Amino acid sequence: MNIYVAGWGVLAPGLPDAAAARAILAGEQAYRATDGVRTPLAEGLSANEARRCPLSARYALDVGRQALRAAGWDPAGVATVLSSASGDLEIADKNCRALAQPPIALSPILFHNSVHNAAGGYWGIATGSRAPTTSLSAYDDSFAAGLLEALTTVAPDQPCLLIAYDLPPPAALAPVRKIIAPFAVALALTADRPSGVGARLSWRWGRCNPVTDARLGESALEELRVGNPAARSLPLLRALSARQPEAFLWGDADGGGLHVALTFEERGSTDPHHAP
Amino acid sequence: MIKGGLAITRYTLTSAFGRGLAAQRAGLMSGRSMLTAHNLADETACMIGRVAGLEEVVLPAALARYDCRNNRLARLALDTDGFAQAVGAAVRSLGAERVGVVIGTSTSGIAATEAAYRAPAFKERGALAGDFPYRETHNVFSCGDFVRRYLCVKGPALVVSTACSSGAKAFAAGARLIASGVCRAVVVGGVDSLCDTTLYGFHALNLLSRANPRPFDADRDGIAIGEAAGFALMMSAEDSGESRGLRLVATGDSADAYHMTAPHPEAHGACAAIEATLKGAGFAPEAVDYIHLHGTGTVHNDAAEDMALARMGLAAVPASSTKGAIGHTLGAAGMCGVALTAEAMAAGFLPGTVATRALDPRFRSHLLLSAEPGPIRRALVNTFGFGGSNCCLALEWRP
Repeated sequence: MNIYVAGWGVLAPGLPDAAAARAILAGEQAYRATDGVRTPLAEGLSANEARRCPLSARYALDVGRQALRAAGWDPAGVATVLSSASGDLEIADKNCRALAQPPIALSPILFHNSVHNAAGGYWGIATGSRAPTTSLSAYDDSFAAGLLEALTTVAPDQPCLLIAYDLPPPAALAPVRKIIAPFAVALALTADRPSGVGARLSWRWGRCNPVTDARLGESALEELRVGNPAARSLPLLRALSARQPEAFLWGDADGGGLHVALTFEERGSTDPHHAP
Repeated sequence: MIKGGLAITRYTLTSAFGRGLAAQRAGLMSGRSMLTAHNLADETACMIGRVAGLEEVVLPAALARYDCRNNRLARLALDTDGFAQAVGAAVRSLGAERVGVVIGTSTSGIAATEAAYRAPAFKERGALAGDFPYRETHNVFSCGDFVRRYLCVKGPALVVSTACSSGAKAFAAGARLIASGVCRAVVVGGVDSLCDTTLYGFHALNLLSRANPRPFDADRDGIAIGEAAGFALMMSAEDSGESRGLRLVATGDSADAYHMTAPHPEAHGACAAIEATLKGAGFAPEAVDYIHLHGTGTVHNDAAEDMALARMGLAAVPASSTKGAIGHTLGAAGMCGVALTAEAMAAGFLPGTVATRALDPRFRSHLLLSAEPGPIRRALVNTFGFGGSNCCLALEWRP
């Protein structure tokens, strides 16, 4: 089955949205982490829900909306896969502090926001979509694991939105978890060939020895790529931005990996619906 | 889902009933509650479903950094009912890289971080020490990583964490890995262990029962938190070479899109998950022999589940909840549902609902108060979690 990227979104320091990121990743503009720092939006939530919505979920909502808009999709019926290596460590920190300090009392909101699928829950509330949604982690391999889950979720008539995000830990957890900057990315994936240029993914999972990561030439972007598990998506975003066919490999610690080839189909070149 | 379903060739469960399937079956048949009294720091009394003996479990030296209650519980279960050996045989016949791991958990090993925050060293430093094994304990992927390494499988590994539907959704994700051809077999499971985050969290939400939980009872007043670990080895029927036994025939999931903790009052999300499962399995509602309820024992969850069954034409199907006996095992609840239903299928009885005295008179479900003999060929396992995450599984027993 051919799978197409119908749209994408991104939010990180210096990459305030997909349009700005496209120019930077295609090499038309320089990357500066201090440019275009933007607070993520909690579009679609009521004032009450928005007040409760943690920053991690806002990142997820923001990039997810960007990707759907780029794809021109209504969120209803779009399955979602949310992948985060470490979830919301700010909330874990606050809860563990509360549990260490008598009299012990947890905040009900912090507790329900502490579940790994909090962002997925807010996505449903914000969009009204009852489509299947899952939330997962594979530590530093979380982007590839999320992509694999999304690729196996896509079916004819079942588009899927992958959202991957991670945020830096608070000071108390910084010695044990290095995430250098926030990064969130979303890919709108579909089996239906979009109109215009189709960014097509073909993929397989298999052995990969030795693992060689795709590196980014720009050193600040390369630091971001290795400094946040969700930013392992940057080589793919760069190729999408430059419309450059490329083969990717996201290897895991055990010698397996997700192999993805990105190619571009011009309008009318291959239309599976009209194939003889 | 592959036509005809996926064969579950081996499964195991360790819960408050005890270690392994024989203990689960005996516990289910006994109609006894295994919950024990527990006091929170503010003297609030509640019940918990504890697994005995975790304090003595030792992890292999090479995996010593993974040591925490959650991974000890996982190891105890992996070493039971010949499960690890069955995975070893699958690895030899199918290849380690074709065997994947998908585990559901809600809190993983966060108890390790809770304890570290209480230590005087943390209070002095204001931070964890650099050698604290966050990745191997607290991190949500820890239990998936531990299981993969312990079993020496090399296929894709991930952890599904969608609160109380995690364990059920692990089956759905595992089925996708097989259907897509990535894996020929997948170790799926659910592991969740007692920790203060969930005990005090549910207390903060006023959802802990002050006595033994009574799912679907008019007097129900909340949940008891339990711990459990269970695993299932799943593969295509063809690869299993087995025409009998347990099959996963369909999975269905949905989002409530309503509220972070409260279920949709008209159970729209639950209905969508059940409907997708019935459709995927090709089950007419009247062909279902038994439903393992999510049946947590809270006022609103049970009401929504009862409504979902009625709306899906399942009100007449015998149903029960096992949470009055072993507690709500959160991310392991779906795995408990599969293993306990499978034991009932194998032994030819329908489990009862421990501690519940009478069905809420407003409900329409066919709730079994005590176990009764009878065959189960086709069953549903319901799970519904925070964030409005719903997942239903369809099981079939081939005698």
